[in-house]
Amino acid sequence: MGKIQYMRLKGSQNLRLRLLLSTLSTTPIIIEDIRAEATWPGLRPYEVSFLRLLEKISDDCRVEINETGTSLKYKPGIVMGGRHLVHDCGTTRSIGYFLEPLILLGLFAKKPLTIRLKGITNDSKDPCVDTFRSTTLPMLKQFGVPSEGLELKIESRGVPPLGGGEVVLSVPIIQDSLKAITWIDEGMVKRIRGHTFSTKVSVQFENIMIHAARGIFNSFLPDVHIFTDHKAGQQAGNSPGYGISLVAETTSGCYISADTSVSYAQGKEEGELEEEKQELSPPEDVGIKIANILLAEIEQGGVVDSTHQGLLFLLCALCPQDVSKVRVGKLSPYGIGVLRHIRDFLGVKFVIKPDPSTETVILKCVGCGLKNLSRKIS
Amino acid sequence: MDRTTGEPAPFVIVVQGPPQVGKSLLIKSLIKHYTKHNLPEVRGPITIVSGKQRRLQFVECPNDINGMIDCAKFADLALLLIDGSYGFEMETFEFLNILQNHGFPRVMGVLTHLDKFKDVKKLKKTKQRLKHRFWTEIYDGAKLFYLSGLIHGKYTKREVHNLARFISVMKFPPLSWRVSHPYILVDRLEDVTPPEKVHMNSKCDRNVTLYGYLRGCNLKKGAKAHIAGVGDYPLSGITALADPCPLPSAAKKKGLRDKEKLFYAPMSGLGDLLYDKDAVYININDHFVQYSKDDGTSAEGLQKATQRDVGVDLVKSLQKTRYSVDEKLEKSFITLFGKKPISPSEVPIGSVDAHDVADKEIPLEPVEKYQSEIVDEDDESDEDSDTEGEDDLESSDGEKKTIKKPSSKSIDESSEEETFYASEQHSPAQSNFKEQIDVHDGRVRRRAVFENEMVTDDKDSGDEDDSDSSDDDNTENGDDEYASSHSDSSADDEEDNEDEMGNVSKWKESLSERTAARRKINLMQLVYGKPESKSSDEMKEISDEGSEDDEFFKPKGEGNKISQKGIHENDVDIDDCSKFLSNVSLKDWSSDDMVASIRDRFVTGDWSKASLRNQLSKGTDGDEDDEAFGDFEDLETGQKYESHGTDEVGGSRKDNDLAAEERKLKKLALHEGNDGNDETKVSRGQTNASGFYDKLKEEMELRKQVNIAELNELDEVTRVEIEGYRTGSYLRLEFRDVPFEMVENFDPCHPILVGGLALGEENVGYMQVRLKRHRWHKKVLKTRDPIIVSIGWRRYQTVPIYAIEDHNGRHRMLKYTPEHMHCLAMFWGPLAPPHTGVVAIQNLSSNQASFRITATATVMEFNHAARIVKKIKLVGYACKIFKKTAFIEEMFTSNLEIARFQGAAIRTVSGIRGQVKKAAKEEIGNKSKKKGGATREGIARCTFEDKIKKGDIVFLRAWTQVEVPQFYNPLTTALQPRNETWQGMKTVSELRWENNLPVPVNKDSLYKPIERKQRKFNPLVIPKSLQAALPFASKPKDIPFRKRSLLENRRAVVMEPKERKVHALVQHLQLIRSNKMKKQKIKDDVKRKARAVELAKEEQISKKRQREERRGRYIEQEKQNKKIRRKTES
Repeated sequence: MGKIQYMRLKGSQNLRLRLLLSTLSTTPIIIEDIRAEATWPGLRPYEVSFLRLLEKISDDCRVEINETGTSLKYKPGIVMGGRHLVHDCGTTRSIGYFLEPLILLGLFAKKPLTIRLKGITNDSKDPCVDTFRSTTLPMLKQFGVPSEGLELKIESRGVPPLGGGEVVLSVPIIQDSLKAITWIDEGMVKRIRGHTFSTKVSVQFENIMIHAARGIFNSFLPDVHIFTDHKAGQQAGNSPGYGISLVAETTSGCYISADTSVSYAQGKEEGELEEEKQELSPPEDVGIKIANILLAEIEQGGVVDSTHQGLLFLLCALCPQDVSKVRVGKLSPYGIGVLRHIRDFLGVKFVIKPDPSTETVILKCVGCGLKNLSRKIS
Repeated sequence: MDRTTGEPAPFVIVVQGPPQVGKSLLIKSLIKHYTKHNLPEVRGPITIVSGKQRRLQFVECPNDINGMIDCAKFADLALLLIDGSYGFEMETFEFLNILQNHGFPRVMGVLTHLDKFKDVKKLKKTKQRLKHRFWTEIYDGAKLFYLSGLIHGKYTKREVHNLARFISVMKFPPLSWRVSHPYILVDRLEDVTPPEKVHMNSKCDRNVTLYGYLRGCNLKKGAKAHIAGVGDYPLSGITALADPCPLPSAAKKKGLRDKEKLFYAPMSGLGDLLYDKDAVYININDHFVQYSKDDGTSAEGLQKATQRDVGVDLVKSLQKTRYSVDEKLEKSFITLFGKKPISPSEVPIGSVDAHDVADKEIPLEPVEKYQSEIVDEDDESDEDSDTEGEDDLESSDGEKKTIKKPSSKSIDESSEEETFYASEQHSPAQSNFKEQIDVHDGRVRRRAVFENEMVTDDKDSGDEDDSDSSDDDNTENGDDEYASSHSDSSADDEEDNEDEMGNVSKWKESLSERTAARRKINLMQLVYGKPESKSSDEMKEISDEGSEDDEFFKPKGEGNKISQKGIHENDVDIDDCSKFLSNVSLKDWSSDDMVASIRDRFVTGDWSKASLRNQLSKGTDGDEDDEAFGDFEDLETGQKYESHGTDEVGGSRKDNDLAAEERKLKKLALHEGNDGNDETKVSRGQTNASGFYDKLKEEMELRKQVNIAELNELDEVTRVEIEGYRTGSYLRLEFRDVPFEMVENFDPCHPILVGGLALGEENVGYMQVRLKRHRWHKKVLKTRDPIIVSIGWRRYQTVPIYAIEDHNGRHRMLKYTPEHMHCLAMFWGPLAPPHTGVVAIQNLSSNQASFRITATATVMEFNHAARIVKKIKLVGYACKIFKKTAFIEEMFTSNLEIARFQGAAIRTVSGIRGQVKKAAKEEIGNKSKKKGGATREGIARCTFEDKIKKGDIVFLRAWTQVEVPQFYNPLTTALQPRNETWQGMKTVSELRWENNLPVPVNKDSLYKPIERKQRKFNPLVIPKSLQAALPFASKPKDIPFRKRSLLENRRAVVMEPKERKVHALVQHLQLIRSNKMKKQKIKDDVKRKARAVELAKEEQISKKRQREERRGRYIEQEKQNKKIRRKTES
C-alpha cells in the first residue's frame, strides 16, 4: 500500500494520448510544464474537457491540476462505460479529438459504452465524424472488435465556431483481448465513397464540391459515389459551413480517407481582426483539394491513411503477445509520437523497416498482452 | 494460448508429502537413476537432462504451508508421496487443493512404506482403498504408483526406473495463468552487494542476483516481478546466460551418452562449474588445492615475469594478495587496455577492480561500455581499412586533393605521435589514454570514447580526427555538432560517395556489414532515439541518409520529415492532433504523368503490376534492397530471401525447416489426414468441419508459426527488445535494495519463486471473489476476520467482507459465510485478473492437526469502490401527534439528514405505514422542545395512513454502505527464519483468547422466555340510550344470570273475578281439548294395529299365492325343457 509511483512527463504534447495510455496501462502520471512558457499557459479548455470526460466514464480516477494549469496529476481509475452518458465537448476542438481515445477506452471498459457527445462535428483540424464512421470503425473490426454495438450516429451537425452538433457513440467491450493482425496487403482502390455536408448554407455548395472531386477521380475509376447531407433547422447546429469527407476502399478491405470542412474560424481573439482577411475557400477548391489529398494518401500507400496511423499502432500494441505486422505510408509525426509513448507506457517496441519498393514502412510488434481486466465475469 | 517457442525450460517436478515419507530419498533415487551420481542431500532445485528432448528439475516441497503454496505455483508435475502404512495425511489433501486452485498441473501419487505390511491381503486391500480415495479426489484412473520398499536404504531400481518412465512420457498441458505470466524458479542466489557496504552496515539493503530458467511467457526488460515471500521489485537487470544444463546436441543417435547426462544443482553444491555473466567459478575441493611456492623476491619476479608465461604470472599474482581489495584500489589505476602487464602484481588485480567498481556502481553500464568499445574498435579497424582504401584510390585517381591532404597530414601526425608516445612509454605512471593509442599503433582517427575525457589533449594534438582543419569547433563540441552541421556531413558524404564509387573488394565486406547493421535500426532509431554512447556515428549516418539515400527509397518529403522530427523532439508543446496536415505539398493530379504514377493502385489499372507490388513488398528487402544499396546485403539477402520466400510460397517447406517436430506433434493431436501442407486454405477449410475446438487449435498453431517466422527474421538484440527473453533461457535477474533478511535467512530447501507481473497487477484495489468455505474447515468464516489469501504469485493477509447478491443486484453483507454455498468476498489487495484462483488460509502453523485451507475462491472483478451494504433500522418516537401527521424525534440527528431521507417509507410497530415529509418547522410545535433557546434539530414531520399512538415506535428501514478495510499485509516469510511461523494480524477471537477476555454480551440480544400476562378486558358496555335505540336484533341478548328473580316474576298476581272466570273457562276448554286428543290417539292406535294385522295377513296370502304360481311355472318350464332335450336327443 506504499506511495503511488507516478510517471513524470513534460510538456503539453500528446496530452490525450498520454492520458489514454496511462488509463489503459493504469500508470499514474504527472505532467509538468504544460505550456509554461506560452502566453496562455496551462491546459486548454478542450484538454480540461477531455479530463472531465475521463472522469465521467471511469471510476475513482483522480485528477489534480495546479492553479496555473501547468501541471497535472492523473491517477487513472477503472473504465466503467455505461449507457446514457452525455458530454459536452465544447467548441474549442471538434468531437473527433475526443472520439479517438474514447473508442479505445470503451473497448476495455467494464460495461459497453454509449455516450452522447455534443460540440463540433466537423472541422478542418481533426478527423470529422463521417470519416470516423466510414474508416475508423471498419478498422477496429480488423482487430476482432465485435461489430454489433459499434456505431456512431450523427444526430445533428455543428461546425465552428459555435458547434451545436451531436453524435451518439456506442462501443462494445471486448471479451478478452484484441486479435493480432498481419495487415500488409494494401490492395487496389476499388471504389471511392464520400459524404458532403452543409449546414445553414445552400445545398448547391455540396453539389459543386462533388462535381469538382469527381472531376479528379474520373481519370482513375468510375465507381465514385459521394452522398450529400444537407442539414437545416435544428440539425444544422449553430454555424454555417460545409465540408467533404472521402474514403477510398481497396480490394483488401483497407479504407483510406481524407476530409475537411470550411467554416469561420474558431478563435475569436484573432478572428476579430482577421475576419476580413480570411477568405473561406470556395467549394470547388475544397473538392479539388480533398480529392488531391486522398490521391496523395493513396500514393503514399499503407493500409491506413496518415491520420489513422496512431490508432493503428495503438491497437497493435494492445494486442495479445503475438506478432502484428502492418504497413503504413510514411510515418506521420503523430504516429511517431504514438510509437514513442507506446514504448514508454506499454513497453512495446516496434520493428520499423522501410520497404523501398513501395516507399512504405512495415512495422512489426509483439503486443503487450493487455486484457480487459475490468470486465466482470458471471 | 501457449506461445512458447524453442526448447522448453526443464519441467519442474515437485516432490511433496508429509514429513518422514521419503521425499528426499525418492529424489536421490531418481537422480541416481538418471545421472549415476549419488546425491548427498537435496537442497534446492536439481536440474538434470533426462532425455534427448527433455530436462527435468526436481524440487522437494517444504513442509510448511507457504512452501507448499509456492511449490504448487511452479510445479509441472507433482509427485504426492503417501505413507502407505499410515494412509493419507492432511498435507496431501491440502496440497491437492492448492494445486487445484492455482491451475491443476499433472499429479501422480506415490505410495511408500509398503514394506511395513506383513500381510499380503491386507496390503492389497490397503492399496485398493487408497487408490479409490485418491481417485475421488482427482479423477478416476489417476496414476498412483507403488514403491514397495527399501533395499539397502534405497528404493528398488526397477521401481524407480518405472517411475522415471512415467515421468518421461508425461505431457504437460499449458495452464492459463502460467502461460500469461513469466516466472522463474530460482536455483541459485548470489548476494552482490558491495562487501564494504555490508561491512559498514550488516543490515543494509542488499542487491541480489537470482538465477533460473524462464518459464511461462517471455520476459521483457523493465518488467516488475514479485519474489514470493519478499515482495514486489523492479527488475533492475536481466542477462541471458549460457544454459548450464543444455540439451544434448541433436545428433542422430539413440539414447543419451554418459557425458551428456548432465546435472546442475548449485544449491546442493554439486556440479563443479558455475557460470555467471562475467565469470566462471570452478569448485575445487580443499584437499585438491595446492599452492605453488611464492618466490618472495618480487623484484626478480618482476624481471622474470616478462619472459615467463603470462598465465603463471597471473596465478602467482593472485596468490599473493596481501592487501585488501579497496586498499589496492586506492593504489592502482584503472587500465582498460593493457597491452602488457606493467607490473605483474598490479595489473590483473587492477583490472579486476575496475570490473568490480563498474559492476557495482552502475551495473548496466559496463556491458554497454565494453560493447561500445568493441564496436569502436571495429570501427577503427574499418576506418583504418577505409583510409587505406581511400589512399589507394586517391593514389590511383589522383583527384580530390582537399581530402588527400588531411589524410596525409594525419598520417604524418600519427607518426609524430607514435614517436611521442613511444617516448612516453618509459614513464610508467601515465594515463591509460596513451596506452590506448599505443595499442592501435597505426590508427589515427576516431576516439569517440576518449574524446570527451581528453578534450584538451585533442586540441593539443590537433585535429587528427577530422578531415578539415578549419572545423575547430567541431572537435570541441564533439558529437552533437558533428551531426547538425551540414557542411561536415557533406564532406563525409563525399567521402562515402567516393567509397561507393571505388568498389574495392578489400573493404567492401566490412563496410557492407556495417551499413547493413545500421540500416536496419535506422528508422527505429529515428523513432525511438538511440542508445546513448555512440551518438556521433549514428547521427552522422542519419543525416547522411537524409541527403544521400533520398532518391532510393525515401518518399518525397521524408527528408523534411526528419527535420520536422528534429524539431519535434524539442518542441514539447506541439498541438495534439492526429491529422497530418503539414505534408500537404499538394501535387496536381490532373496531369497525365501524375495520373500514371498511381494508375496501378486502382482496380482500373494494371492488376499484374499491382500484385507484383504487393509481392515484392512482401519479399521486402529481397532484391529491392539489392538494387537500392548496390551490393551491400549480399550475405543478408540470402537468409532473408529464404525466410520470406517460404513465408508465402512454400508453406510446407517452411514447416519442415522451422519446427518439423512440433508440427508432427500437432498433426498427431489434430488427427489430420492431409499431408503437411496445412498452411493452405483448402486444408484449413477441411479442418473447419471437424469442429470448433480443432479449428481453434489450428488457428493457434498458425498464429504461433507466424510469430516464429516473424521473430526469427530479427537479429538477436532487436528480438530481445521486441519480445523479451524467450522462455527456456537461463536468466540472471538482478534485484536491488532487497531486505538483508532475505539473504540472511536464505534456505536452499525453500525454493524461491520469482513471478512476473502483468500490466496493472502491481496496483492495489478492491477485489471481488466468489468464495466458498472449504467443506473440511470446521467453522464458517466471519466477516472482518483476517485471512491469508494466495492469489496469482502473491500471498497476503487481508480483511474480507462477505456478501451475497440479492435478486435486485444489491450486495448484502453477511456476517458469516454460508455453510454450503458460495458467497462473495470483497477485500483490498494487489489486483489479480478475473478467473484467477484463490486459496484462503487462516492458520499458517504446521503443528495443528486440522485442515488448514479455509476457503477457495475465484476472482470475479475488481473495483476501486466497494459496494456492499447492510441493513439499518432508524428508530424514532412520536413527540407530537396531529391527525395523521406526527413529529418524530430521535430518528434523525440533523435537518440535513432529514432532507436526505425525504419521502422515505416508514412504519410503526403496529403496522401503520407512513412517509417522511420534511424537517419540522419551529413554529408548529417544535417550540416546546427548545433547549436553551436553540431549536432541536432532527425532528421530522411524517404522515401516516392513520393516526398513530404516542407509544408506537416508528422505524425506517434503509441500507447503509459497509466499508471494506483497506488493509493488506504481504507474507514476508522469506524474510524470517523458516521454522518460525509468520505472525500477522490476529483475529478478534484470538486476541480475546490471548488476553483472556470474555466475549462481550449485550443483554438485549440475549434470548429470554417470553412471559405474557393474561389480559383482562372490561366488559362491553352499551349505553342504555344506545341500547334502547337499537333494533331488537342488535340488542344484547345475553342477559346475565340472576340470583334473585326479577320483580316482575316475584310479585303476586291477583285476578279480577271476570278474569278468573275467563281463566277458568280457558282452562276447562283446554282440558276438554286435551282429553279429546287423548281419546283420539288411543283410537288411532287401535286402528293402526288392526290395520297392521290385516296387512300381515294379506301379505302371507299373497306370498303363498305367488309361490304357487311360481311353482306351476317352474314345473311347466321343466316340462318344456325336458321335451326339448328329448327332441334334441332323439
